[in-house]
Amino acid sequence: MTLWQEIKEGTVISFAALRANKLRSGLTTLGIVIGIVTVTLMATAIQGLNSAFRASISSMGSDTLYIHRFSWFNDSHAEWLKAFRRPYITLDQIEALSQQATLIKAITPFSDCRLPVTYKNRTSKSVTVLGCNEQFVNIAGNTVAEGRFFNAAEASGGRPVCTIGSGIATNLFPNISPIGKKIRVGGSTVEIVGIMSQQGNFLGAFSLDNQVIVPMRYYTLAFQHVSDYEIHIRVASMEQIEDSKEEIRGILRKIRHVPAGVEDNFAINQQEMFISTFNRIGGIIASAGLFITGLSLFVGGIGIMNIMFVSVAERTKEIGIRKAIGAKRRTILMQFLTEAAGICLFAGLLGLAIAFPLTLVIRQFLPATLSLPIVGLAVGVSLFTGVVSGFLPAWRAARMNPVDALRND
Amino acid sequence: MTNLMFRAELRESLSMALKAVAAHKLRSILTLLGVLIGVFSIIVVMTALRVMQTQIEGEMSGLGANTFAATQFPPVYFGGPEGFEKFWRRKRITMQHAKLVKEKATLASHVGVETHLWNGEVGSRFTKSTPGVELLGGTPANFLARGWDIHEGRPLLEEDLLNSRHCCVLGNALATNLFPFATAVGEQVKFDGINYTVVGVIAPKGSSSQGNQDKFAVIPISTGLDRYGRMMRSLTIYVQAPNQSAYDDTMEQVRGILRTVRKVPPGKDDDFELFSNESLITQFKTITFSVRIGVAVISSIALLAAGIGIMNIMLVSVTERTREIGIRRAVGAKKRNIMAQFILEAMVLCQLGGICGVILGIFGGNIVAFYLGLPAVIPIDWTIIGLVICSVVGVVFGTYPAYKAANLDPIESLRYE
Repeated sequence: MTLWQEIKEGTVISFAALRANKLRSGLTTLGIVIGIVTVTLMATAIQGLNSAFRASISSMGSDTLYIHRFSWFNDSHAEWLKAFRRPYITLDQIEALSQQATLIKAITPFSDCRLPVTYKNRTSKSVTVLGCNEQFVNIAGNTVAEGRFFNAAEASGGRPVCTIGSGIATNLFPNISPIGKKIRVGGSTVEIVGIMSQQGNFLGAFSLDNQVIVPMRYYTLAFQHVSDYEIHIRVASMEQIEDSKEEIRGILRKIRHVPAGVEDNFAINQQEMFISTFNRIGGIIASAGLFITGLSLFVGGIGIMNIMFVSVAERTKEIGIRKAIGAKRRTILMQFLTEAAGICLFAGLLGLAIAFPLTLVIRQFLPATLSLPIVGLAVGVSLFTGVVSGFLPAWRAARMNPVDALRND
Repeated sequence: MTNLMFRAELRESLSMALKAVAAHKLRSILTLLGVLIGVFSIIVVMTALRVMQTQIEGEMSGLGANTFAATQFPPVYFGGPEGFEKFWRRKRITMQHAKLVKEKATLASHVGVETHLWNGEVGSRFTKSTPGVELLGGTPANFLARGWDIHEGRPLLEEDLLNSRHCCVLGNALATNLFPFATAVGEQVKFDGINYTVVGVIAPKGSSSQGNQDKFAVIPISTGLDRYGRMMRSLTIYVQAPNQSAYDDTMEQVRGILRTVRKVPPGKDDDFELFSNESLITQFKTITFSVRIGVAVISSIALLAAGIGIMNIMLVSVTERTREIGIRRAVGAKKRNIMAQFILEAMVLCQLGGICGVILGIFGGNIVAFYLGLPAVIPIDWTIIGLVICSVVGVVFGTYPAYKAANLDPIESLRYE
């Protein structure tokens, strides 16, 4: 008999056996179904969490560097205090950097504060006011939806013009176009020249559309008098990001008079840091979640093993007869393995069918979908569970001495 | 008499159940393993959560007994910067407010004022401390309100405040750090370039591993305000009620006084926050409640799978022992006895698995404590809940097979092969 025939015959026999004990097979299947459903749902939820995070940080380009006195993530309060004592980054330094750096595409000084914004009788209480130059639009992850961004002449002249976020546009101007209108920002009046496209919110914490962007020279005049700025830089190409970082570091150290051998008195931040921090925390959550849900699959696997042992014991005589008329060890092994794997595979598919409507529920909270890798994983894991937990009973059946097996009642 | 009968029946059923479990060792062990893992999954998660919860609650318990605090900003805040603006726009709490509370709060036993002044490295004539030592400005009443017991020397006195003396009381960890060889009292320490005379040392806080709570020093608040300025500074007022029964009244009185002195119109919300250890911990618990419930549900799914395994194997066992059941029925066993026998068998399996699961789970959960360097906990409530759930699982999933066994026709089952 060829292997293929054996598998075919094993399948037929195991299906007959499964049908013979309907309740038993049903309960065994149910045990695995529960495991598969929980594991699939957990994997989907984790994936949803991941994609929600990615969508949320997409406002930070991966090729953008954010230079500031502070590093985004401090290991200790002491480190923060050290950063706190560093000298400010001034506009002159940023100007010098932009003239000397060669491996960059766009550079802008950056600073923000929160102020109330008013148009006629409508007020938005806490709006992020950003100061930057005309290159900001090439760095930030969004585009101008209507009108235009303020231009280089307006930026260097410090004109009272602004581009507003879509949130402000809908809040303050429900019925008319905001372009050309004048709004009160804090104590100053600025004219709207453009509206940015919608961006959503950042990590669920605050809206990115609730902002007013003004030229930095006007910003320093009207809103902020402390000369401490961030620098946002878009590098020339993603491949050269490390070279760009090195170049910027060298120039900044020179401009800020950092002696050789002393550590930088500024920090170069990038999206990477967010992702790696998230991956660290998300990895812990994911592994804990999958471990806990994996336990229920494990319990289901134990159930299968148990019931297969029973089934082997009950069918000792059948095994003896099959062996007596010439069945090989491999044939018997294959028969029981097929039975276990068959139950699990069926349970896996059933579990997926149950998990699918439940993922639609999860989708209400997280952008989760039952993706193809997860489906593949679920089927693979269920097959694997079946083979692993079916192996010991099948091995015991295959190793039986035909004489003893026939004598058994 | 019936009681005696019942006991005899129970004993018999139990011994039969144990024998049946022992007869099929492999099968029993596998079933038991299922329950074990199910219970382990609940207990390990709950122990780990409890470890972290204990830690966080310990950190939140910065106040003494029957004490509450008034601040401009809420101590716990979740939400975006938009919401926080509201707190920024509030009036600051000044020394004047604190003075008026002290004068008018007749129900309070102590009213203390505190403010954070500086954070950094402290030097003594022997050594330097690690960075991040907190310098606080305080009053004598703070020692009572915050539960700072004096280890040696004396606390701050009213005279220190009146004269704005350059004296300080050190936290225990800081004192042993700066003066490793002898007492700190009478020595000089240097904060932010200024020398202060140490007049006292505070006793260490509890036995837990929160060494950081002791890494601070207190100077008279008048000295602190002179040195570090009153501008942009919002003080924290600590009020201690004389006892638990007067606590709510005291809080209401202080709320009224603060509303009056801060000129909050009737009907408007308070423009300050009042909180105590309990309110913080309650708040924390409400916030994490849904998380804990979700985790509990997810971790009990494995137990459900184990229950199904038990049901399955009990059904097998009933089928195999059909003859035995037939004989027992034939010699006079009632349906009840058969039912009890099989339910007990299921419960014995569950309890054995459950106990092992609880033990392993507590060990597993405390690995988290070990890694984070926190004190280990044994969640007694979850241990009990785990074992109870186990019995419930045994009864629920054992009932159907037992019912099936009890309702077998004695004649048919005797004939069964």
